[in-house]
Amino acid sequence: MTTPPSHDLHRALAPKSVVVVGSKKADGYMWLRNYGTFIGGPVYSVQIDPNEIPGIEAMGVQNFTSLMDVPGEIDYVMLAVPRPVAPRVLADCAKRGVGGVALFTSGFAETGEEEGIRLQEQVLQIARDGNLTLIGPNCMGLYNRRLGIRQSGDQGAGEAGDVGFISQSGTHAINFGLVGEVHGVRVSTSISIGNAIILDVPDYLDYLADDPETKVIAMYIEGVKDGPRFVRSLRRAALLKPVVVWKGGVTDAGARATASHTGSLATSQAVFGAIVRQCGALAADSLEDAIDVVKALLYAKPATGRGMGLMAMTGGQSVVITDAFVNAGMEVPRLSDASYAELGSFFNIVGGSYQNPLDMGGTIGFGGSAGTLRKLFAILDADPNVDAIAMEMASGFLARAWHANPASLDGMLDTLAAHRDESAKPFVAVLQPQHVEDVVAEARKRIQARGLAVFASFERAARALKRATDYHRFRAGLD
Amino acid sequence: MSMSTIIESARSEGRSLLTEIEAKQVLEEAGVPVSPARLARNRGEAVKTAIELGFPIVLKIVSPQITHKSDVGGVALNLNSPDEVGAAFERVVASAKQHAPDATIDGVAVQRMEKQGVEVIVGMTKDPQFGPVLMFGLGGVLVEVLKDVSFRVVPLDARDARQMVHEIKGYPLLEGYRGQEPADVAGLEKLLLKVSEFVEQHPEVSELDLNPVFAYKDGALAVDARIVLG
Repeated sequence: MTTPPSHDLHRALAPKSVVVVGSKKADGYMWLRNYGTFIGGPVYSVQIDPNEIPGIEAMGVQNFTSLMDVPGEIDYVMLAVPRPVAPRVLADCAKRGVGGVALFTSGFAETGEEEGIRLQEQVLQIARDGNLTLIGPNCMGLYNRRLGIRQSGDQGAGEAGDVGFISQSGTHAINFGLVGEVHGVRVSTSISIGNAIILDVPDYLDYLADDPETKVIAMYIEGVKDGPRFVRSLRRAALLKPVVVWKGGVTDAGARATASHTGSLATSQAVFGAIVRQCGALAADSLEDAIDVVKALLYAKPATGRGMGLMAMTGGQSVVITDAFVNAGMEVPRLSDASYAELGSFFNIVGGSYQNPLDMGGTIGFGGSAGTLRKLFAILDADPNVDAIAMEMASGFLARAWHANPASLDGMLDTLAAHRDESAKPFVAVLQPQHVEDVVAEARKRIQARGLAVFASFERAARALKRATDYHRFRAGLD
Repeated sequence: MSMSTIIESARSEGRSLLTEIEAKQVLEEAGVPVSPARLARNRGEAVKTAIELGFPIVLKIVSPQITHKSDVGGVALNLNSPDEVGAAFERVVASAKQHAPDATIDGVAVQRMEKQGVEVIVGMTKDPQFGPVLMFGLGGVLVEVLKDVSFRVVPLDARDARQMVHEIKGYPLLEGYRGQEPADVAGLEKLLLKVSEFVEQHPEVSELDLNPVFAYKDGALAVDARIVLG
């Protein structure tokens, strides 16, 4: 096996100039629009079709008919030309010594047809000969939130995010950016890697592992080309920061779909799962699941203990929140004698209980008395049997109060945020959509704006916190 | 005989499967605890080896052509004295010759009849992408029907070995279920690490099975071993 050439990914992934080749009206000048938020330097267009040029210039973008004519250093090229033209433009990229090229064009080896395979070979040869930093082909390229380079015009731009994302699917790359943002999970650098014929998962993983802006790495992959290299990179990255691996194609039928999607070889799911654990990474099984784990890693403080202090508003909820956390692999211990003595002095046990879980609706009142809630937090925080705290925010009851008086939510959030600030223990909140989805959607935004980890179900909160705990245990050498 | 000599001799005979004696020899040299098996070419050697290894003893016919040893009457179990071993040697060889007259008989493998422990299996296969992968599971029905096994890619570190053993659903059986003696979990972990080392040092090994491994309250022992060369 030859050692892959090292690529200076930083120049391509944090570029100071961008060129879009092949922007056209038919797709609404998609790439120029996606890069309309770019703040790192100039955005130029290369387009030879005279029918397309006026539309491009009308967007205020300077167009050239050859890449060779573009002034200055070119750090990042988005190449969106018909596939027979791709090799020629790539040769120009090599001549210009560009920082990197994302090849949006599809119709290569993933088609399984002779012409596609032949063209991919040709692209590979040009890229190798020219030592091109090639992303793709068949990809949506780069999303750098801070610099405003996007995979979709719907993605956010501006303040830097802190989550790196690597995706073998363009759709999942775009959606991780979009859906993550709704959950307070913002991307630092995301790469849609497509067929990954030059740069592959380990290259991006190594880069993100060393990227100071990236606090957590997540990825969607369907297969791995060089197993040992993947293991080495994953191991290294997981020692530096948490890595969440969402693997697609885990069923036999899914693996068949994978083969026609990215041509990846299937490894048995049992073996792959073992590798993820062996490397100290965390497995996720859907977009939402990956976002949940990342959220717990970002917004819940690190802890290695599994003992939960659980707070729910009613008896039924206190039972199912307990089941959810135990099923996820956490523990719900008895509290200390000191805690019980203190709780016994004021806890309303008519229609409530404080064994852990705390069934506290009747104690804090359904408006959520701040003073009593603070007392409960203080007791759980001091309890040596409790390593982490999860609390149900009873959306069904609270929605009415919040609707009538939006400021009442702020009072509760002040209490939660104060607890989070004062306590070293991880804290997660659960806000179920129930029958008040629209109120909950609004409330969730405000909860997240306070930097609190909030989940839509007990199960999601439990599974996310469990894996965050797994990671902290791994780093502490405990598991 | 070293690993390279054994491989050479297997290859020169056109074999990719090592005999049990060869497999155990190379594993023993690599520090994997195995119940040793020695080749005895005649009755005298069989008795001498049996005395060295200690009773009770098991004899198994050794012939490149005979794979199902018990079908040809080629196995004798629970032999408790030199006389029993001697008589069994004659019996096993005669029976094998009668049932498989064309087979070349190299002799008989002499090994201790090990006392029963908690039965586990350790295996290695090569994943086309990730290379050698170790498997661990409880023996018998649990592995065959329930697929209650754990995997790790080679090389393993101490944490991997620990997790492999603890990860299986049947782990409570190793802790001493219903009055059974608890198994030496640390001993199993050590065995896994030794197998990982062996596999790492010998890329020519394409498959390996230790089935069963007996886990005792102190230590673990591979009772049967199978090695296939790639």
